[in-house]
Amino acid sequence: MGPRRNEINTLDNTTLRSSPLFISSPVEFLLSPRRIVLKMQQGEGSETQVTWEDQQNINKFGRLNNRYHELEEEIKVAKEANENLEDASNELILSDEDVLRFQIGEVFAHVPSEEVESRLEKMKEDAAKELQRLEEEKESVLAQMAELKKILYGKFKDSINLEED
Amino acid sequence: MEISPSASTAGVTERRGIPGASFVEDVETYLKQSGLDVNSSLGFLQERLQQYRVVEMKLLAQQRDLQAKIPDIEKCLDVVAMLEAKKTAGEVCLKKALITDFEVAEGIYSRSKVEDNDSVCLWLGANVMLEYSLEEAKSLLDKNLENAKASLEVLVGDLQFLRDQVTITQVTVARVYNWDVHQRRTKQAVKEPES
Repeated sequence: MGPRRNEINTLDNTTLRSSPLFISSPVEFLLSPRRIVLKMQQGEGSETQVTWEDQQNINKFGRLNNRYHELEEEIKVAKEANENLEDASNELILSDEDVLRFQIGEVFAHVPSEEVESRLEKMKEDAAKELQRLEEEKESVLAQMAELKKILYGKFKDSINLEED
Repeated sequence: MEISPSASTAGVTERRGIPGASFVEDVETYLKQSGLDVNSSLGFLQERLQQYRVVEMKLLAQQRDLQAKIPDIEKCLDVVAMLEAKKTAGEVCLKKALITDFEVAEGIYSRSKVEDNDSVCLWLGANVMLEYSLEEAKSLLDKNLENAKASLEVLVGDLQFLRDQVTITQVTVARVYNWDVHQRRTKQAVKEPES
C-alpha cells in the first residue's frame, strides 16, 4: 500500500505527515567541524535560488569561522606564554643568584643573571607583540563574518542559520 | 593569515588529488543532465562527502605532525646559535666553558661542561646522526625550517580548498532534497483538487 494522501515518504523511510498549512524539510548539516549549523529550511514552497556568488559567500563564511576558532586557541596559548614570562621575570627579581639555569632547546644552560634578564625582556616583548597581532586578526575576522552574515541573512532570511550551537 | 577569496571557480576540477565539487546552478538541469533520480544523486553526493572526510582526516594528521616539528627545529637552531655565540665570544665571562644541565631520565638531570668546539651532531632520523660544522648545521636547520613552513602553508591551502568543496557539496545536498520535497508538494497540490 502506497503512501496515503498527506503523507510523504522520506529517504530514511520515515513519513512526514503534511498539514495543509506548512511542510518543513529541514536538512541540517555542519558547516564546520565545530558548532555552526547551516540549516536550509523550506518555507511555504518558495525556493530561493542559490547563486555561485552566494555559494562563495557561504564558503568564505565557513573558512572565516574555522580561522576564528583556530585564533581563539592560539590566543589562549599566547596568553599563557605571556603569563609564564611575567612569572619568570618576577621570580628573577626576587632571586639573588648570579648564575641561573636558562632553558635553551632541551637543555638548561648556566647563564649569568644579567643575560637572563635581557633575554627574558626580549622574549616578553616578542610574546606581547604576537598576542597583539593575534587579537587584531581576530577582530578583523569577526568584522568580516558580521558583514557576510548581513548579506546572507538578507538574501535567505529564515532559510539559513549561521549561529553557533 | 589572509583568507584568500575562493580561487576555485565553477571550473576547478581538482587540487592535488582532491576532486572538486562542481557548483550546481539549477537543481532541475543538474538532475536532468546527470540522468540520476533524486535518491541516487543524493547517494552519490553523500559518498563524495565521505571521501572528503577521509582526506580531511589525513590532512589534519599531517598538519599536526608539521606543527609539532617546527618548534623542534627552532629549538635546535637556538642551541646552535648559543654555541656559535660562545665560540665568537669576546667577553671573558662568556669565554668560560658552557655548563649545562640536561635530562638523563625524567626528573633526573646531569651537569655537563661543554668545551668550545666547531661541530655539532645532528640527529637526522632513522637511527642516523651526522656531525656538522656549526655553519653547516645552521644552514641545514634553516633549510629544514623553511621547508617545513612551506609545506605547512601548502597543507593549509589544501585544507581550505577541501572545506570549500565539502560546503558546496552539503549545500547541493540540501538544495536537491528541498527541490524534491517541493516537487512532491506541488504534485500533491495538483492531485488534491482532482480527488
